[in-house]
Amino acid sequence: MVEGIRDFTAIVERDGVHQPVLDAQNGEELMHVQPGVSIVLGSHPPESPGTLYISTKQVIWLSDTNRAKGYAVDFLSISLHAVSRDPEAYTSPCIYAQIETGADEDESEGSDSECNGVLDLSKITEMRLVPSDPNQLDSLFDVFCECAELNPEPTEENEEEEHNWIFSADQLEDEATGEDSEPSIAIGQSNGDHDLARTVLELQINDQRFEDAEEMEHETDSAQR
Amino acid sequence: MLFFSYFKELVGREVTVELKNDLAIRGTLHSVDQYLNIKLENTRVVDQDKYPHMLSVRNCFIRGSVVRYVQLPPEGVDVELLHDATRREARGG
Repeated sequence: MVEGIRDFTAIVERDGVHQPVLDAQNGEELMHVQPGVSIVLGSHPPESPGTLYISTKQVIWLSDTNRAKGYAVDFLSISLHAVSRDPEAYTSPCIYAQIETGADEDESEGSDSECNGVLDLSKITEMRLVPSDPNQLDSLFDVFCECAELNPEPTEENEEEEHNWIFSADQLEDEATGEDSEPSIAIGQSNGDHDLARTVLELQINDQRFEDAEEMEHETDSAQR
Repeated sequence: MLFFSYFKELVGREVTVELKNDLAIRGTLHSVDQYLNIKLENTRVVDQDKYPHMLSVRNCFIRGSVVRYVQLPPEGVDVELLHDATRREARGG
């Protein structure tokens, strides 16, 4: 699922250094740490220098000043990333990233991303990471590329299995027979029929009961006459 | 894998990658991987008025899953070759 940028709070302090807790059980590993990085979300002002942690699954930024504050975005949500050096685009050289959010595109346009001074992360579609040392940009870009390649779409394998193209009549026949037998079992005719039969049976029982009652009535009727 | 192999042939040529969010980026194809992630160099945004902030980006990594179209250079398309390749790929499964 694509969820865009989110607050990151899984922070621990170890040996006087605060660092993110990674999902090591699912194989998440830290690939790169870059101190002295400012983060710019959408068109908001940059946030005080922090430290960038790039893992095999996500990009995490932790604030240096507010030790409880951090943001994270999965590589699955990063549509593209690039090195931006033109001062006309942004005052400082940076890594520019477009973020895919779960929200509708119309809603995610930047202007509404701040409401009552609270940042609505779900509407942030752009992120800039500004290292204090611009010489780090190329190596940061390479790490981003490497990690993005580690995160293909999770559904891809299933899709490949399901989307079997048909190229010959033989294959069509095979598929036809396959479909004839398999779904009927899968849908469960026996199950369905069984339930249906029972319902019909119950109905019949009810009917018989009514018939009996009617007959009784007839009998009483005739007795009274 | 066919398109992966095919795109690899186009490395070094000018392509336009159109994303699902309507952004179209033109640039020199630097590399492509099995997931059709695309790296472009010397990029420029086709509709610069709409995306002024992308103006300056020189190299760019585009996630394969957000690509809608890749516009190919006409001289890089050998229709006959592609035809054969698709047939062969189809038979091979």
